[in-house]
Amino acid sequence: MLPEQHDILWTYLTVMFSLFSFYVFMNVVMHCRERENLNGKLWGSIFGAGFVANFLLTSHIMDLAQQAQMATIPVQVVVVLSTMFVWGVFLKGEGLQDSSPPIVRGAFFWTTVSILLAGYTNWLPQQRSDPPPKAAAISGDITMEQFVEMGRVIVFGAKEVAGQKSIGKGQCPLCHTFDPGDNIGRCPNLFGVQERAGQKIDEERYQNAPVKIGETDPSTGVVKGKPMDIDEAYRRGGSEDFIAEDYLRESLMCPSCYVVTGYGKDADTKSPMPVINKPPISLSPVELNAVIAWLQTKDTPGDFANVTVPLPSAESSAPAEDSGGDEEEAPLFVTGNESVPDMINTLGCPLCHTIPGIEGAMGTLGPVLHEKTNAPNRIKDPNYKGKATNTKEYVRESILDPSAYVVFNEEAGEPFADGLMPGDFSNKLSVQAIDKLVDFISETEAEG
Amino acid sequence: MNKVPQFFKDPNTEVKDMFGKTISKKCGVITVAFLLAFAVHLLPSFATDAFAKEAFAEQVFAEEAFAKEVMAEEAAEGEGEPQIEWGQDVFYKDWEGNPLKGPISGAPAPELGENDYNNYEFAPSRIIIWVANQQHLYFGSFVLAVPIFCMLIEFVGIRSRESDPVMADKYDKLAHDLMKVSLTAYSWTAILGGILLFTFITLFPGFFKYMATIFRPVMHVYALMFLAESGVLYVYYYGWDKMNNDPFLKWVHCSLSVLLNLIGTVLMYLANSWATFMQAPGGIDEKGQFLGNIWHVIHSTLWNPVGVHRILGNIVFGGGIVGAYAAYHYLTAKNAEERAHYDWVCYVAMFICIFGLIPLPFAGYWLMKEVYAFRQQMGITLMGGIMAWLFIIQAVMIGLLFFAANSYLHNGMARVKGSHRYMKYCKYMILLLIVCFTMWMTPHTIVMTPAELKVMGGAQHPIVGHFGVMSAKNTAVNLMITCTALCFVLYQRANKKITVPWATIGNCWIAAIFVGAAVNIIYLGVYGYFLPANQRVGLSVPQVSSTLTALFAGVAINISMFKDSESYGDIEWGTQSKVGTYAIFLLAISFTWLMGLMGYIRSAVRLFWHVTEVVRDNSVDAYTLTIGEAGKMLSFNTLFVWTQFVIVFWVASLTAKKVTSEKAPDGVPVPAQQQQ
Repeated sequence: MLPEQHDILWTYLTVMFSLFSFYVFMNVVMHCRERENLNGKLWGSIFGAGFVANFLLTSHIMDLAQQAQMATIPVQVVVVLSTMFVWGVFLKGEGLQDSSPPIVRGAFFWTTVSILLAGYTNWLPQQRSDPPPKAAAISGDITMEQFVEMGRVIVFGAKEVAGQKSIGKGQCPLCHTFDPGDNIGRCPNLFGVQERAGQKIDEERYQNAPVKIGETDPSTGVVKGKPMDIDEAYRRGGSEDFIAEDYLRESLMCPSCYVVTGYGKDADTKSPMPVINKPPISLSPVELNAVIAWLQTKDTPGDFANVTVPLPSAESSAPAEDSGGDEEEAPLFVTGNESVPDMINTLGCPLCHTIPGIEGAMGTLGPVLHEKTNAPNRIKDPNYKGKATNTKEYVRESILDPSAYVVFNEEAGEPFADGLMPGDFSNKLSVQAIDKLVDFISETEAEG
Repeated sequence: MNKVPQFFKDPNTEVKDMFGKTISKKCGVITVAFLLAFAVHLLPSFATDAFAKEAFAEQVFAEEAFAKEVMAEEAAEGEGEPQIEWGQDVFYKDWEGNPLKGPISGAPAPELGENDYNNYEFAPSRIIIWVANQQHLYFGSFVLAVPIFCMLIEFVGIRSRESDPVMADKYDKLAHDLMKVSLTAYSWTAILGGILLFTFITLFPGFFKYMATIFRPVMHVYALMFLAESGVLYVYYYGWDKMNNDPFLKWVHCSLSVLLNLIGTVLMYLANSWATFMQAPGGIDEKGQFLGNIWHVIHSTLWNPVGVHRILGNIVFGGGIVGAYAAYHYLTAKNAEERAHYDWVCYVAMFICIFGLIPLPFAGYWLMKEVYAFRQQMGITLMGGIMAWLFIIQAVMIGLLFFAANSYLHNGMARVKGSHRYMKYCKYMILLLIVCFTMWMTPHTIVMTPAELKVMGGAQHPIVGHFGVMSAKNTAVNLMITCTALCFVLYQRANKKITVPWATIGNCWIAAIFVGAAVNIIYLGVYGYFLPANQRVGLSVPQVSSTLTALFAGVAINISMFKDSESYGDIEWGTQSKVGTYAIFLLAISFTWLMGLMGYIRSAVRLFWHVTEVVRDNSVDAYTLTIGEAGKMLSFNTLFVWTQFVIVFWVASLTAKKVTSEKAPDGVPVPAQQQQ
């Protein structure tokens, strides 16, 4: 459910609570009609009021969105429990306790168990999984460090989750491990794979099983050990020699061309691994190269000497469906080599923000950036739900996830518009650029 | 003499079968028990045989397809261009293991865009379709399960007509009453099916168009089968009284229930094919083009295990609903006679429920095996990826089910005279259940902050982490099932004073079987820690065999010891404690929730695909929900469907009220107060 929509469980329960209070009201009225000694007006008024209170609460809750509903529902729970208590007093006081219908006890038992189960699921760690982008877009120049990082994100996803390997578009960590000595028994450990890949062509088993070099794997159509026969979109340039990169590419595009002993089916002739350039993974040529680049460097972080795949150009990586658009307008990307004012102007921040130290930055659609003084106060704001603990973290979070905290516009008497600030700055900024920007904005304060 | 239900009658009586031949019930019980045990042991070989036949049929088809391909190519050689375009199946293989080829007979799957999805403002389309689907499935499950019960109960009633006409009437009346409730629920199911269909067409038009194109003939057959189901159902229900008196017509009537179940099963399997195709397609190429063989599309890899799993699930779910229905009437009963009747109905429903529950995990194993065989990463996404926590929740739910079942049996035992001999063991059984339950729900790894990770010294706890692996979990769940079986054995013999000469030997055998099974299960569990993961998986088979052996052999020996047994007294029907009655409620609600959970897991494992790897979900709802969001949906669906069940039962009861003045038949089950 979207935040602005209703919470389905509580919406249902609030309606049922109102119906329950109406049922109680009718039950009491019927008892009073059947027995002359009962004060029908008194009890009818009490339970009628209970029904009206519940009905009004339900109407109110139906007008609220999820978070507000969650905050209000305890009030209704108290009202319903009070109704039940008074009902119990009425039945007991009039000696009618045997008339208490079991359906009510059953329904509350049912509801309590259901709510406890829903509560249990909400108590567990929450992780939402979004569909991967169809193809990662690269714009402008890209460094090898960024390209390798792109490969790492395809493998592990953008977010690191402590305690377990998060899983990216490539879904590799579902089966593979990457650290020395680590093994979950599903697929080979990829520590040292670059070194092993280079020697694979000389291995007798590679040469002959399950298909021989030069033969075609029937399920993928890949010719084993022949890098120049691979699908043109994925083929590398240069010499025809079989190098480590070729083995890695072949393993990704044709997992059954060679199956590591002990990790295959049918006497290690078939790999359980999906073909990575086909559904469901469907890595594009650039993405596949990025993964190879990461595999070639992951054991020697920061040293890119082993990488043999070329850096992609903007045209080679743009998604096909986007390429037919406006070809003259180059997608925005800030590398960090620019000056801070240039970066800020390129990104368009002055259109909305007033930023001390930046000429012409007098925008009013977003908050004034006096973050040296404002950020610490916002972190302490009870409405702040982000994760930042200091000014720099807050500024970084505001850039990368603008909706994490929406600043209140004192002059207008309402929050600034959420969703106005683009949420894709992570795709427009290199790591160096964002560091530079955060350092600068964290020091901004009112002039004079 | 007071009458007791058939389950507790003296087995040493003679009855006549449908041909008038006299048979001994004593022999019958033993024979049936041993045949059942024998059948279970033979099942794998039969299954292997069935699979071999199926594999053979596949091979024949593959050869035919290849021959057609060759002929087409040969025919085309002279004319320059081939007349038929061939595509490779995404799942089926030929006898050499290469993808099976078939003539392309349909358009490629569409690349869905914004215009292929519609939505309302109040809720995401995905949530609406989920609710519509789940509600229809719940009701469908119920109306498919009830005819199975009715068939069995009516059959038991017919068989006991001569030996115990009063009891036979009671069975017949129960089956008739259940059918009456089912009839109202049947209309309700059809309405929910219509809502589901309209929801699909209006909110997911692009996707539905593709599915309708592929499954066009199946959808028509489905509609016709529905018509047949309705016809048989109405004749079966409305012809009940007319066909009740003549023995031959009664058998015809009972046969109609068999036909009803057959049609119902076909209906379910046809509808299953849509879901299993979406999860693990077959009969199409990678572009989603139909390859001309509709059987391949229907009979995709998960079709059989999902079908078997659903039949068993329906039985448990139906048992739970009937149990809750009876439990409610037990609580509202106006007199002792009614209380005794509904207490007995509760017992019958619980018996059916547990009967279906015990083999259910094994059908689940089969389903998961096929999922892994289809795509390993799909299996790992379920068991070790984003869905892993949902399986922990499943473990909790199964634990709740076993607690509820044992709680019912423990409380039910209290109303059986002579049960004091066994009540003292209940606390130990509960202790065992708690220990196993704790082990069963221990996660392998959990999401933690770096600080927590550091304190614990790794992703797994140094001690508790050992209980998170499958060795421990298999051990725990097998012990729980064995404990439940033992509980049932004790329940059965609670009011019996065993008098057979071999009583000591029999008791020793039962003890040895249960202790041996437990020791074997624990030994294999511990041994698993010393084996690599791929070999460890194989240990679950002997563990399960131990459990089943204890269950069937233990119950068979137990029943055979009842010969000439003396009774401490009849079961005091109508004296079930409230805790025992609420245990039935707990079982019903837990299973409803669990059914929704497993359905969600099965469906959500497609992640961002409508049809795995073929039709991508390009809607705004293509994400996988958090566990909390899913949990709320499950609770909502559970409460919503039970609200509807209450309405349906109430509607069904409106006609019953007209005939309440009629005196209930004398005889069993007899209220406790009158037994003294």
